[in-house]
Amino acid sequence: MTNLRPGLIGARVQRLEDPRLLAGRGCYVDDLRRTGALHVAFCRSDESHARILRIDTSEAARAPGVAAVVTAADLEGACRPLRATSRMPSYQATELPVLAGDKVRYAGEPVAAVLAESRYLAEDAAERVAIDYEPLPAATDPEAALAPDAPRLHEDLASNVIVDREFARGDAEAALAGAAVRVSGCFRMGRKTPAAIENRGYLAEYDEGRRRLTLHSCTQVPGIVRDALAELLDLPGHRLRVVAPDVGGGFGAKVSLYREEVLVSILARRLGRPVKWTSDRREDLMSTTQAFDEVVRAELGVDEDGAILGLRAEIVGDVGAYSVYPWTAAVEPVQVASFLSGPYRVPDYRGRVRAAATPKPPTGAYRGVGRPPAVFAMERLLDMAARRLGMDPRDIRRRNLVRDGEFPYRAPSGLVWDRAAFTGCLERACETIGYDELREMQAAARAEGRRIGIGLASYAELTGVGSRIAVAPGMPINTGTESAAIRIDSTGAVTATFGVSSQGQGIETTLAQVVAEELGARLEDVEIVHGDSAALSHGTGTYASRSAIQAGGAAIVCARSLREKVIEAASHLLESAPADIEVTGGAVSVAGTDRRMSFRELARAVYTEMGRLPREVRERVDLEATGVYDPFWGTTSPATHAALVEVDPETFEVEVLRYVVAEDCGRVINPLIADGQVHGGVAQGIGAALFEEMVHDPSGQLLTASFVDYVVPSAAEIPSMEVEHLETSAENNVGGFRGIGEGGTIGAPAAVANAIADALGVEIEELPATPERLFRLIGPGRRAAGARMETGPGGRGRGNRFTANQTNSGGRSESGSGPTRQSK
Amino acid sequence: MKPPPFDYARADSVDEAVSLLAHHRGGAKLLAGGQSLVPMLNFRLLHPALLVDVNRISGLAGIEERNGALRIGALTRHRQIEVSRAVGDHFPVLRTAVRHVAHLAIRNRGTLGGSLAHADPAAELPMMALLLDAKIEISGPNGPRRLEAREFFRSALTTALDDAEMVTGVELPLLPPATGWGFEEVARRAGDFALAAAAATLTLAAGGKVAEARLAIMGAHEFPLRIAAAEARLAGEAPCSGALGAAAKAAREAVEPDDDLHASADLRRHLVEVLARRALESAARRARELAAQVTGGRAP
Ligand SMILES: Cc1cc2nc3c(=O)[nH]c(=O)nc-3n(C[C@H](O)[C@H](O)[C@H](O)COP(=O)(O)OP(=O)(O)OC[C@H]3O[C@@H](n4cnc5c(N)ncnc54)[C@H](O)[C@@H]3O)c2cc1C
Repeated sequence: MTNLRPGLIGARVQRLEDPRLLAGRGCYVDDLRRTGALHVAFCRSDESHARILRIDTSEAARAPGVAAVVTAADLEGACRPLRATSRMPSYQATELPVLAGDKVRYAGEPVAAVLAESRYLAEDAAERVAIDYEPLPAATDPEAALAPDAPRLHEDLASNVIVDREFARGDAEAALAGAAVRVSGCFRMGRKTPAAIENRGYLAEYDEGRRRLTLHSCTQVPGIVRDALAELLDLPGHRLRVVAPDVGGGFGAKVSLYREEVLVSILARRLGRPVKWTSDRREDLMSTTQAFDEVVRAELGVDEDGAILGLRAEIVGDVGAYSVYPWTAAVEPVQVASFLSGPYRVPDYRGRVRAAATPKPPTGAYRGVGRPPAVFAMERLLDMAARRLGMDPRDIRRRNLVRDGEFPYRAPSGLVWDRAAFTGCLERACETIGYDELREMQAAARAEGRRIGIGLASYAELTGVGSRIAVAPGMPINTGTESAAIRIDSTGAVTATFGVSSQGQGIETTLAQVVAEELGARLEDVEIVHGDSAALSHGTGTYASRSAIQAGGAAIVCARSLREKVIEAASHLLESAPADIEVTGGAVSVAGTDRRMSFRELARAVYTEMGRLPREVRERVDLEATGVYDPFWGTTSPATHAALVEVDPETFEVEVLRYVVAEDCGRVINPLIADGQVHGGVAQGIGAALFEEMVHDPSGQLLTASFVDYVVPSAAEIPSMEVEHLETSAENNVGGFRGIGEGGTIGAPAAVANAIADALGVEIEELPATPERLFRLIGPGRRAAGARMETGPGGRGRGNRFTANQTNSGGRSESGSGPTRQSK
Repeated sequence: MKPPPFDYARADSVDEAVSLLAHHRGGAKLLAGGQSLVPMLNFRLLHPALLVDVNRISGLAGIEERNGALRIGALTRHRQIEVSRAVGDHFPVLRTAVRHVAHLAIRNRGTLGGSLAHADPAAELPMMALLLDAKIEISGPNGPRRLEAREFFRSALTTALDDAEMVTGVELPLLPPATGWGFEEVARRAGDFALAAAAATLTLAAGGKVAEARLAIMGAHEFPLRIAAAEARLAGEAPCSGALGAAAKAAREAVEPDDDLHASADLRRHLVEVLARRALESAARRARELAAQVTGGRAP
């Protein structure tokens, strides 16, 4: 029977959480107030690589309002060692200490924690902690760090090489040797930080009566944090609860277990008082996981018609000082290598990837994980090859994209693409932006001296990765499945509980749409519970564009079995065959009759009005169901981005004039939310393309320690976007959904880079394409300093208004400036 | 990012503010809009013993036209300058410049006096004070004094103010008729401090020759600069593109920028020339249009 009723899945439902979140009625970790709470301020290392000779906390401990000053020595035996393990051969695990012990490995690493009655007092006292360091040599350049004689960051490891892997198919060298055209480049994106609007924050409280620890955390993965802390602190799950309340953005940076989370948990239990830490922005910029920091040396060979013959790459990831738990420091660079060949037919490939431990903040997952740098390199190579062949960038993509008859297509790294709109996205993006007209407009503008460029970027990603693939890296967690529990309570209200958690994506709305449609409830009857480890036996959280697929799948599976129970109860109560029972709009009815009961009446009859159901039915039909969903493989999400930019050839400012995304996320649950995911992702991708870059000086000092210097685009820099959804049905998962959360960030750096290259007739190999880089590439600066710069200018003259190590006091006549030390 | 402990006092008059400053000799700081001071406190770059809040001093804010000049009180918010009709009528270049100061929320709080006293080398209002030949009114323990803007800015974040002095206002002499203007800025984002900026005014004499040209730049030197060589070069000349270009080159030669994270000295020097040329070109174009309106005829 086809259901002609317009479904909730696919409807443009306004986000149910917005009245709460937009009107300031949300509740984030920092909003939680507890009497007697202690507030933590950290003393963070101002050296990148140094031995800690002495820590003197005595003066700080006597400061007003201070309850304790804690160093690594005080934490010995407080928890099991934290190590991200993996079964990858060649992987070397690093131990992540809760506080740095005998050594610091990046500037910003926490060395001591001051606990005081308020954050103000804690910061006052933290200034009085004295730490003596003996600086050690540091290899801050990732390629230098690979050398066998490079200064070793972790003495217990054989080298700084955290992982060394190769993906190969066929004979890439031979294919390149036979290619009509070979193009190559050394592609480098700036190290980026997600810069979520909510900094990290944690509040731990210990109930001494019940011996129960609760951690309120802005994490994306309450389930993973709970399971990890249970191990580290040796607590059973029912005495350890991790709650993620409203969370203001995560973008992957909140998927790892942080040492600050472990610390507040240990100290709340030890001191019997709530312990709270909220990161400030400076701490966020130096301690939250960063990303996109790979050197990709790659070469592409094509035949005279532009067909790809071979691809090879040497990738070095600058992964920072420690492997994040549980993902490891391999998470990003390995994905650069495994996704490099993109949505194209690449017969022969060899990609070697090494992750270098460097004295910088750890890198981790960030929206796109490895694919933004991979797509940047590959899409640039394609345009370079097209330029050499005199071919249009659209045509070289048409020639090489995996075509409809070729799915499932096994990419050279072993990834398998299921059928999705690879070529469809390219064509739709070009149609929407008016590609052919723009080419004419571009030529006319050029004649007037204007520099306008059009950039395309196509990619494919794997989303909703199920248990079959998720086991591959051998992490101690299961990311393949998600579970759900749905119940209709005795008032008839529907509560659906998930192991995923929302950081503002609109999950409360999309999951409510899925549950309501599958169950036959009204949207307003459904309450979504998420982000609480105590609510379900197992769940991990939200990351890797999985929530629609995994949690949406669990919602479907679970709602369907609950619906069976509803039908069974209704068939008794309405005295009709189950096949004749309809469940819609929060009510059950008998088809073709006016016999009908609302969920409220049904619930009363089931739970309260004894005698209405036979005893054996009452015991079986409890109006609750649980379900686990495992997509097993995963599903492909492709897209093409098209950007139109104008570059001022005298000031080197880049303006994005138009931006189009055509993407295939399978069945769209909510077009408003799908568009929003693309918009936000593209904004972050434009940030990577034009603005954002963590700069460390050669000694490892962070120079971009505030939002004055770490430049995140604002609304004024982001164009309005046109988003097209192609909905190729995804038969490999129950909902037919494909992930959409990360794509914007994956495509945008490459599309913008290609557009700039197109506008200026040069090759862009480094992002962000700042005025300084373009000046050196095309302006008079080319003569001044060679064709390109390795990083930003890096000088530290005036103008870096709030750099960590600068003390320009400003105001009237204090002009003294010089390096401060948090501690002497 | 919490400020170190400090005492707070609210001054009800300029005299009271000045005497609090004098009493604490160097240990006290005025608090105006707080948009530069409070971030520095939160970064613990400053440890003042006392903050003297000047926000309730009556008569310290306001814009008024008198004696052939526009007087703007020190406590006037950036936003008030931006929306002032008098500013728009007499100094459209100032209105344009102030729109480049930060974001609306910051312009609602930040003050003219605070901006001048803070003397960021890439701040618009100090450059405007210089361009518009502002007289800066100062009060101190020894009474009031006035300084020309060009005597006021000494180096980055450093002014001619004494520890116990405060700015009370500025006076901007009105410009002659047929004065065109130009303002050009490059910043990483809307509202950011500039990598470089240039502002110009150009007054035409009856024959279409330049009666007076002024050119100021910022962001590329320790403090905002008037480019005397460029101004002298243009005086008495027809504002043709060759002359304007040569003046812009003079600006480039006058600045001594540093490298920083966002731009090298080379880029800043380059931008100074480009922006100076563009600012002068707009000023010349507007001056010609104004001259044409005055004579009721065509632009010369
Ligand atoms: C995100 C951001 C972006 C910004 N971008 C720009 C920009 O693009 N361009 C720009 O020009 N500015 C910018 N600013 C700075 C802003 O314009 C400030 O308002 C201005 O620099 C200082 O004014 P204030 O009134 O806030 O001064 P305050 O912060 O209160 O004080 C600044 C200093 O001046 C002293 N002071 C204040 N008033 C007086 C007085 N009357 N006499 C003597 N000393 C005084 C104070 O003691 C202090 O030393 C930005 C600020 C922020 C936060």
